[in-house]
Amino acid sequence: MTKIYFERTGGFMGRKVSVTIEINDLPDDQAELLDDLLDKADFFELPADLTRPTMPDSFSYNITVSSDERQHSVRVGDTTAPDNLRPLLEELSRQARMQR
Amino acid sequence: MPRHHFAHSIFCITPPHMLREIVLNGSDKQRELALRSITISEQVRGQRGAMTKDIISLMKPVATEIKQRIVYDAENGNQLPGKVARQEGEPTVSDIAVNEAYDGSGVTYDMYYKVYGRNSIDNKGLRLDSTVHYQKGYDNAFWNGQQMVYGDGDEDLPESQRLFNRFTAALDVIGHELTHGVTQYEAGLVYWDQSGALNESMSDVFGSLVKQYQRQETADQANWIIGEGLFTSNVNGVGIRSMKEPGTAYNDPVLGKDPQPGHMDDYVKTIEDNGGVHINSGIPNHAFYVTSIELGGYAWEKAGQVWYKTLTEKLTERATFQQAADLTYQAAAELYGTGSLEQQAVQKGWAEVGIMIGGDAPTGCLPAILRVFGLTK
Repeated sequence: MTKIYFERTGGFMGRKVSVTIEINDLPDDQAELLDDLLDKADFFELPADLTRPTMPDSFSYNITVSSDERQHSVRVGDTTAPDNLRPLLEELSRQARMQR
Repeated sequence: MPRHHFAHSIFCITPPHMLREIVLNGSDKQRELALRSITISEQVRGQRGAMTKDIISLMKPVATEIKQRIVYDAENGNQLPGKVARQEGEPTVSDIAVNEAYDGSGVTYDMYYKVYGRNSIDNKGLRLDSTVHYQKGYDNAFWNGQQMVYGDGDEDLPESQRLFNRFTAALDVIGHELTHGVTQYEAGLVYWDQSGALNESMSDVFGSLVKQYQRQETADQANWIIGEGLFTSNVNGVGIRSMKEPGTAYNDPVLGKDPQPGHMDDYVKTIEDNGGVHINSGIPNHAFYVTSIELGGYAWEKAGQVWYKTLTEKLTERATFQQAADLTYQAAAELYGTGSLEQQAVQKGWAEVGIMIGGDAPTGCLPAILRVFGLTK
């Protein structure tokens, strides 16, 4: 069982959006997409805090991934995400915006 | 005597005050000649007189006063600034977001220059850089310390689920972002808790003033909505914030209700959003609104002058709401006199949000206990 918790705070509106996803509950293609994005991000190897001094109105993101064996959280800002994390961030952000 | 002196003899018999007028108001060519003449007459005299110094000091802002804008296109990626899409003086392009960023930063520059005598973000003619089409599905705008950045809203979602339009659509958002730059160069308000909410409020105040200035609206004609037009028709709301009635800008089944307080009694304590900087900004926002309505006329003229002076000369990095109130009161006295109508309006503005000038915000148990026993005011 792998679970993703995603949270976006701050921004011009200062409003939080979040989404919790149980990967095992998803249709195969969507589960594969997220597994793939987590792999590409090398998620469990990322530093926990990738934020820098806050830029006015920018978003802050918090992603926590937990499975039976391990758990890891990463905090990141709009302009501080490494390139390989961006596709995951974009996908989770899209899902959170669809659910808000 | 330098040989080229005679080539510009006309300016040598021109009195300094006229040269000064030419520098300020002449065409580019006239200005160039006048400046050259000033330099030459300096060389001739071999010294700098008081008047020349005066003119030299005028030259600095004048020489850089010209608006400089570049709008870039991130092409839905995250690289800043992106590809140049439109530069100063170039005609409109087919991309509406590019034109909005260009025109909006232009109007903002104009208001700051004409109303407050400020030459751009740093008051030294800094070029105004904006990037549009930042990322995909980016329902936001921000200031990254050097430039303005705008997203396209929810363009990546099915139309029925879209809540946000592109963020350049609202002029006050552009004024808001550019003002974050002004604050960075002036008071440097730390983006956390009350100083962060003041930072946000300054951006809303001058963002709103830019919109009012462009529309030539008086305080009572303006709607004081921030981010009007950002919501799609799927949202039940008029904009992101209301300075007139904080907490009433939207009430929507999906977005929820506008959480802004308009009074200290409803101050929100939170660690999210840098300590609620976009929430508690409703309090100083409303104080500015009340002050403006009290004074009547164009809000950028009197209330705006008081707030501008406070932002640029008085506030310090970690200022609290109480300090902001006291300092606007002080600024009003310096601009319009102690006990003036303007100063009274400022006092009333803050009183309506629960902040008394010279007041003493309780900071814990001890002050409260001392007050109960009549040991402090």
